[in-house]
Amino acid sequence: MRVLTGAGTSHVVGIPDNSSAGLFDALAGHSAIALVRVSREGEAMAVAAGLWLGGARPLVVIQNTGLLESGDALRGTLARMAAPVPILVTARGYGKMSAAGLIPAPRPPRDLLVRPDVDSVALLTEPTLDAWGIPFRRWDGGEVEVLADFLSSVEAGGWPAALIFTGTVTAS
Amino acid sequence: MAGRPDLHGDGDRLMMTTLELLEPLARRRGDQVVVTTMSVTRPWGRLSDHDLDFASADSAMGHAADLALGIALARPERRVVCLNGDGSMLMTLGTLATVAGSGAENFILVVVDNAGYEITGGQPVAGVSVDYAAMAKGAGIPRTLTVTSAREWDEALDHVLGSSGPTLIHARVALGDEGPISRSAREEARYLRTSLAEWSASLRECLTRGAG
Repeated sequence: MRVLTGAGTSHVVGIPDNSSAGLFDALAGHSAIALVRVSREGEAMAVAAGLWLGGARPLVVIQNTGLLESGDALRGTLARMAAPVPILVTARGYGKMSAAGLIPAPRPPRDLLVRPDVDSVALLTEPTLDAWGIPFRRWDGGEVEVLADFLSSVEAGGWPAALIFTGTVTAS
Repeated sequence: MAGRPDLHGDGDRLMMTTLELLEPLARRRGDQVVVTTMSVTRPWGRLSDHDLDFASADSAMGHAADLALGIALARPERRVVCLNGDGSMLMTLGTLATVAGSGAENFILVVVDNAGYEITGGQPVAGVSVDYAAMAKGAGIPRTLTVTSAREWDEALDHVLGSSGPTLIHARVALGDEGPISRSAREEARYLRTSLAEWSASLRECLTRGAG
């Protein structure tokens, strides 16, 4: 929260999952950052685009499954408008992917996409962002400076970008 | 429209035209932000040449209403009107709940319901006769209104523009014959003669000028 307020974040727009639930809980009734709950992840991109048009500094927070759902909204709003909005993507399936000794790669083979011990969304998240032209980096939640640097770099870069968050937000 | 199917099932020729919907709004919108999409984009651009117009064209279909909501949340001192299509609204019905939950009192969402996909030739949308006002009410939007005639709209407009929302207007109009929307120098409307990125930067500058 300190990093978000320090970066001037005005709104958090998104849908919680188990990793980000703590952030949404902390934002409920927050005095400086408004929480905008949306019904589907694509909406988060468009609402954030509108917030940016109005001079606000939104942060989108969605799970990687929802990121895949929101493809056309991200392409057609934030990217098409060249709106430098940061997107925090919580990373479902990254633990299983790591345990299986796998890494994301373009065009994963079908046998990987159906393996019960692998969550296919983890394999597809980074190649999809790459294909969409959205810069990204990973963050395990350890050093908050990573988040601060990400937020400032998106603003300076003039383009939406994603931070793939493999950790869990805690109340502290 | 002659030769067009009667998509509403009640005589399109008796219904308000898109132009009859847009003209009074263009005259009375003042300094409100107006977001357009799909088949109203070009006719609105013929009636209005305003820096606070925004065409959600060459964008993402179904996301004009949520984009407009974002503007309304960022600029609570300014009213934002979104002229959405019924086909677009059906793509993101969850936005009705999002609008209700946002509590954006300065947001007016107009569903311009011609019952078809006008810019692709008028194919019918899914659903026989969708009641968007009832959907909005059910989603928790406090102010809803259905208008089917130019007279009803003209009489209601000042109240709509002057009241706290969020508000949803279900405007049933006859199917027109607007073709596909483009962004190019050949377009008559100023907001379609530039890229989405360029117009976005311009609108942002306009909305934030003088803001702290």
